Amino acid sequence: MKTDTMRTFWKRPGRSRVSLPLLILMAYVVLAVAGSLIAPQNPYDPLQIYAWESSSSPGTAGSGGYTYLLGTDGLGRDIFSTVLYGLRISLFVAFTSTALAAFIGVTAGVTAAYAGKLGDALIMRIVDLQLSLPTILVALIAIVTLGPGIDRIILALVIVQWATYARVTRGVAMSEASKSYLDAAHLLRLPARRIIFRHLLPNSIAPAITLVPIELGHAVALEATLSFLGLGVPIDKPSLGSAVANGFQYLLTGQYWISLFPGLALFGLIASINFVGEDVRRRLDPRSR
Amino acid sequence: MVSAIIGRLSQAFLLLLVMSVIGFIGIHSVGNPVFNLVNAEAATPEDIRRATVALGLDQPVWHQYFRFIGNVLTGNFGTSYIYHLPAFQLVMGKLPATLELAIVAMMIAAPTGVLLGLLAGRRKDKPVDWAILRLSVIALSIPSFWLSMMLILIGAILTGWFPSGGRGPTGTLLGTEWSFLTLDGLRQLTLPALALALPNIALIARLTRSGTIEVETQDFTRFCQAKGLSPRRILFRHTLPNISIPIVTIIGMQFGGMLAFAVVVESIFNWPGVGKLLIDSIQLLDRPVVMATLTFISIAFVALNALVDLFYVVLDPRTRHSA
Amino acid sequence: MQFMRKFRQPLLALALATVLSPGLAATTVMADELRIGTQLKLMTLDPHYADLNENNALLAHIYERLVRQDEHLSPQPALAVSWKRLAPTQWEFKLREGVKFHDGSPFTAQDVIYSIERVRDFLKPPSGGFQSYTKPIKSVTAPDPMIIVIETDGEAPTLPLQMTTLFILPHKTSGFATSEELNSGAKPNGTGPYKFAGWQSGERLTLASNPDYWGGAPAWSDVTFRVIENPAARVAALTTGDVDLADYIPARDVENLKQRNIKIESTSASRSNFLQFDIASETHPGITDKSGKTIANPFRDSRVRQALTMATDRPFITEKILSGYGTAASQIFPPGLSGTSDKLKVTPPDYDGAKALLAEAGYPEGFNVVLAGPGGRYPGDAESLQSVAQNWARIGVTVQPVVSPFSVFMTKRSSGEYPLWYGGCSGEAVTLCLDGVLASQNEALGTGSLNYGRYENKTFDQMLIKAKAMEDGPGRSEALASATEFVMADYPTIPLYHFHLIVGHSQKVGSYTVHPRGWTMAMQAAPPTE
Repeated sequence: MKTDTMRTFWKRPGRSRVSLPLLILMAYVVLAVAGSLIAPQNPYDPLQIYAWESSSSPGTAGSGGYTYLLGTDGLGRDIFSTVLYGLRISLFVAFTSTALAAFIGVTAGVTAAYAGKLGDALIMRIVDLQLSLPTILVALIAIVTLGPGIDRIILALVIVQWATYARVTRGVAMSEASKSYLDAAHLLRLPARRIIFRHLLPNSIAPAITLVPIELGHAVALEATLSFLGLGVPIDKPSLGSAVANGFQYLLTGQYWISLFPGLALFGLIASINFVGEDVRRRLDPRSR
Repeated sequence: MVSAIIGRLSQAFLLLLVMSVIGFIGIHSVGNPVFNLVNAEAATPEDIRRATVALGLDQPVWHQYFRFIGNVLTGNFGTSYIYHLPAFQLVMGKLPATLELAIVAMMIAAPTGVLLGLLAGRRKDKPVDWAILRLSVIALSIPSFWLSMMLILIGAILTGWFPSGGRGPTGTLLGTEWSFLTLDGLRQLTLPALALALPNIALIARLTRSGTIEVETQDFTRFCQAKGLSPRRILFRHTLPNISIPIVTIIGMQFGGMLAFAVVVESIFNWPGVGKLLIDSIQLLDRPVVMATLTFISIAFVALNALVDLFYVVLDPRTRHSA
Repeated sequence: MQFMRKFRQPLLALALATVLSPGLAATTVMADELRIGTQLKLMTLDPHYADLNENNALLAHIYERLVRQDEHLSPQPALAVSWKRLAPTQWEFKLREGVKFHDGSPFTAQDVIYSIERVRDFLKPPSGGFQSYTKPIKSVTAPDPMIIVIETDGEAPTLPLQMTTLFILPHKTSGFATSEELNSGAKPNGTGPYKFAGWQSGERLTLASNPDYWGGAPAWSDVTFRVIENPAARVAALTTGDVDLADYIPARDVENLKQRNIKIESTSASRSNFLQFDIASETHPGITDKSGKTIANPFRDSRVRQALTMATDRPFITEKILSGYGTAASQIFPPGLSGTSDKLKVTPPDYDGAKALLAEAGYPEGFNVVLAGPGGRYPGDAESLQSVAQNWARIGVTVQPVVSPFSVFMTKRSSGEYPLWYGGCSGEAVTLCLDGVLASQNEALGTGSLNYGRYENKTFDQMLIKAKAMEDGPGRSEALASATEFVMADYPTIPLYHFHLIVGHSQKVGSYTVHPRGWTMAMQAAPPTE
């Protein structure tokens, strides 16, 4: 079974509904949710950390009665535990921001399509404005303005991402809005909110859904990058990105494990999301075959 | 055509204005830069207060902003709090380092990406195609900061082939110092350029692949094949010219993106370019430099995109009519 | 003058002799090029702009001062050959003959007057880093081209020490050079052992030997400073041979470097790091009881401060976190330096005693407190906060460590957001830190500038004022020491450690003497003896 998935992964898309990347992604989610049960240490609790065992190499036995499977970082935190807890933060930030961005973006796109010339111009100007800058730059400006913290980084990611959804959705909604059933709805004098949410939205949402996995991958990567640059989540509660950042200075002196393992976890996460995203896109868009 | 350019310019202007307000207030709220330019272990609160007044940081933020805008309109971004040099001059001084990094990265990425893309496109659905597609997703999944670190680990620490960071000795060309003119400089350039190139190889390969598939399924290619033209001739005389437009577009746009993404790569490789200047200045709260850098990167990005569009119009007669 | 004999090493004398004595140096002219990887990010070529180690260390190659501070922090002749106190408010400095600036013009009293006046009268904030040294100077006159008389407003028993801060610039025929002029335009022109060859601000400074230096040509023909801010990158550059010498080496890398044939030199820095309490506030939102309610500020009770001091494991920080490259602190300046006490000792943690004392003060259950500090500013800063949090948890005090970038931390600290924080003090003498950290805030006297928690101890203030007015010598040192002992008995701060400055160098450098002020200078490095 497993080798089968492995083979199809590298060759053609199989007929099976469960692909290897999806399995991995599901494993990630499970690990993130159950992380605190599996992790031998709570890396956020100073009382559970033995500072003098900092920078221990993988496999060293620790004072807490467990082995540092993946070693410890410069502050003595168990890397394995840090990865599990960091995974939770990374996924939480990515899921929350993507969901919020998708909701806001789709709503804005549909509203633009429905609201007539002025509203459309207003919303789409902002969208154009934002999309004419590299995302990393928008994210940097946003996070510098908002300051550090998990809530802030979610907000920054929403600011970065909503525009893409808005543009895509508006395009579909425009063509949808010109269809006759909406004229009928107008004639029936249904309230605008009802027309938008009951008719326009459900019919324009498909392209936004294909965007979700791609943007989810972006969100994970962006959060990690911002945290790496020291502008993201606070250092005492590291996400995967800040865990990698913490290990950067040790990397040059040979303590590779501090940044290698969180980095691998991060890479695996983004890769599995991106592969799942590709599958989704391929299934929904037969032309890309 | 003219109205399109005016529209674009006014949009760019609006963009800069909005960005300047946000960036300005953002940095203002983080902290007082004075602590980075006095000896905090000796300065009296009075010293700090006087320095704050001297930099105008005691004024309400709106006053400061309007003074800043006034100065910018006369071409003056202010003087760096930290380096005591005109901010814009400082940014320009770091530009060659970033440019050469981006150019070398693109010189690696464009040919490699096009080659892989053609290979995949012409062997559509064959193992080669799937492998290249899968690898491209993997390449695009590696966060650029981690990729940079792994390149340092492998290329510098474990093997010692390349230096772990910094920019090498420079040579002079056109009155500017470039490090790619010296052998040591090139060695130092290799790892950061690779870090910047890899995701772009993947992007360009994917684009070239889909372009190739589209062109090769079109009627005229089938006609050529029917005529008995050699596959090589079809590739070079028909396919390549037809997919060159989207490829040039993506190269142009990615070049702008590289300027922005250099922020990450430069700070890891300790590469003294515009991106590292931006991150350093954000951390030191050196607002004039942050504003000058942000403005510069945005203008460069918007201008590049405009150039690409222009190129598109010149190259492709169809868009000329519709515009 | 009795100074820290402890730090004297045989190597030191040798290094000094090689670099500074004209006779010996002549045999080692143009030895080679020295490449230094430094943390010190030189940002200006104006030596009067800011009193930062960056400027003081790197520009000392080009410019010189009247008086030089050696590795024991004692004043040594530089551009002035001797000095004497003419009256309580009057000092005379005799200038060195035959000194030439790099452009060939002779060094005279005019240059000294120009430099002092430039700092005192011309430079405007934010470039006022040295003004605290020139503020008390009433007038500078030159009765003779090679003699300077400085008149001060009040008594200045340590004026020569203050003159170790100020670089001498060549005078201009009219007006003063602006910082912009010095930064761009003309080459910096000093009297130092090395001439300016080129720089890229914040990246690189290149220097060439000054063969006409009054102390004889320096040991290295060319010196390049490469700014490598990331400590790990600096270590990597040293191991790969990209640089011959690197400063501010993290203690954790020392073993690794030694194995790679890198020589390590270190010395205790003339500074300390400590925990400081907010003592003025009645309550603080950062101090709560176990249910999260704000309580009356416990730090106003000296028993609480004592208990927390007793529960702080300082040897752990120096041994484990700083890998032995630090001295556990019991006072504000490293013991052994002039004016420090040799009676104050670091005691091992006593958790039971501390818990009892805390109960006696009315906190048997302990309390919750926010402990703030900068991250990556000093060796072991963030790690110490964590270690303290673990220590205090054992007596029921729950610490929430908050680590921020330095400027953010400072902004919040000065706006009173923290009840307890990690601070540091450094300077050319112990009085600077006693004045700054422990004396009451008093703008007229210029004391208490770092006393952000507004600790007040009137008896100590008086003792300090009396000691400072004394002539430099053993009597003054003793008075300062007993004032320190008196104030530390009230636990105004929790002294943590004096970290050591660590420099590593390859075999290309024969020996290096670390300067306790943290100045990385080519003059401290001697080529290998054949």
